[in-house]
Amino acid sequence: MTAPRLAAAKLIRLNRRTHLMVKTVAVVFCLGTLIALFWMQRDSLEQALKWLRLHGLPCAALAAIASAFLTARRRSLKRTEYALSWLAAVPVTDRAARWEPLVIEILPAIAAIGVLGVLSMACALVLALAGRAEIFTPLAIEAYLGGGIAAGIIGSYLVPQPKPVILPPGSRYVPHPRVRRAGGVRPSLRALGAWPIRQMFAWAQPKIVSRASIPILIMMPMGTTADAAMVVIALFANLGALLLLWSAVISASRAARSWLAPLPAGRGAVIRAFLLPASAVIVAAGAMGALLLLVFNVSYGTAAQLGACTALIGCLTVGGVLVWNFRPRRTP
Amino acid sequence: MTGPILEIRELRAGYGPRTVLENISMTLAPGDWFVLLGPNGCGKSTLLDCVVSRMIPSGGEIRIAGHALSTDPYEAKLQLGYGCAPDVLPGLLTSRQCLEVHAGAKGLAAIGDDLFALADELKFTAYLESFVDTLSLGTRQKLAVLLALVGDPQLIVLDEAFNGLDPASALVLKRHLRTRIERRRGALLLATHSLDIVEHYADRAAVLIDGRLKHAWSKDELQELRANGGDFEAAIALAIGEPES
Repeated sequence: MTAPRLAAAKLIRLNRRTHLMVKTVAVVFCLGTLIALFWMQRDSLEQALKWLRLHGLPCAALAAIASAFLTARRRSLKRTEYALSWLAAVPVTDRAARWEPLVIEILPAIAAIGVLGVLSMACALVLALAGRAEIFTPLAIEAYLGGGIAAGIIGSYLVPQPKPVILPPGSRYVPHPRVRRAGGVRPSLRALGAWPIRQMFAWAQPKIVSRASIPILIMMPMGTTADAAMVVIALFANLGALLLLWSAVISASRAARSWLAPLPAGRGAVIRAFLLPASAVIVAAGAMGALLLLVFNVSYGTAAQLGACTALIGCLTVGGVLVWNFRPRRTP
Repeated sequence: MTGPILEIRELRAGYGPRTVLENISMTLAPGDWFVLLGPNGCGKSTLLDCVVSRMIPSGGEIRIAGHALSTDPYEAKLQLGYGCAPDVLPGLLTSRQCLEVHAGAKGLAAIGDDLFALADELKFTAYLESFVDTLSLGTRQKLAVLLALVGDPQLIVLDEAFNGLDPASALVLKRHLRTRIERRRGALLLATHSLDIVEHYADRAAVLIDGRLKHAWSKDELQELRANGGDFEAAIALAIGEPES
């Protein structure tokens, strides 16, 4: 076996190939939708492409910086993973030991260049069908951005090596419950409600939150005041917390289904135990979103409507997920 | 309770088109410590999953303390305690909260003092406020067993429950289980690879091969083996038709 990690990844992909047709159809559908969107917005698209062409070099520089840091981080992560993986002790030839990690580390950057290529071809196709003169502009932008990403891959060896990634237990980021006196246990399903909320905190680690806020800050137009930026960040944080909580409810309720199967707990009681605290958080997030919109000079009525809609949709989807995950099982 | 604690009749189960268990029938009487032996992948855990209703069998019937698991699951599960695999425990709840959820699900007003006494003996009390994801494998295993004993169930089902336990804790637990099933007139169904349990604790044992019960030892047969200085490895090899080494 010359490249064990790539060989294992290939085998895993082969094992999952049952969904290949679905994936192909999904990709073709997405591409078709994208071309249709580009066609509907062809005037705006042309303007955006002109702007990108004009600022090609700064965009390439940004792409290079992002690519350098992300590739360096991936290198660190993959090295840690490899040291702990089941393939760590497999002998690898010197040649494979050089090229295999390189391929694994730069794969996302190469994929990004490929995606940019597809997007630029789609833009060029739309411009050609619309009879516009600048059909080569997307390809020029692709060359700038692709070149920037490629330069970033080389630059990744020059940036300071990130610290090795060590994943701590999720509970490190969870507020610890108040310690009660030893011995006393109050039988109740209430603790189930805390599970998705803790999962949300465990996923929203400070490092991840700080990284997620960087692109939001970059997207702010020049001249944005600090107070407006704070409100926008708070809105994103609110939305992010809702999405994390939604995912946490799915994850925790699936795990609980297996854990609680041998217990005589009623479905309704378990669903209630999960739903009530999650709904309280969702309603609070909806109210907080409405308040932030008010600060952003949105009218009272619109802010209240948006907050109420967020809370309602959030509670309904979480309820739906719980009902689905705790549905009665049928005999095979 | 004078009737059987667990009755399994003509049980069939599998995953998709693959049949894992075929025509399994067995009965556990009050006071029985029943050990299920068998090679890896023979269907021991699948059988336990069916008994604890983590898996729905494709045929047959399971009754716990006289209640059919398929038609009267609430009453059946009230009499059931299952020690799940440590990785199934919720990492973001504390040990105390896991106990609370189990006791709440069984509708208990409080947890018996004997469980806390066992937790003390197993040196587990110090971990009651710890998140499960910070516990070692052995400590999680202790928690899984303690959860199985919440509500003093008549039927205790344990899957490789002594894996990862230090010898002292394993000994404490084996003695506790022996005393508990005798006092409660309950039954214990344990899937394991440790022959020392068959040798010293089990009342009955069976070997499962390729989803079928290949051989079963009654209480008298096990006692006879013990009396004759029992070579349990040889007895199992003979039962499954493999040459003794």
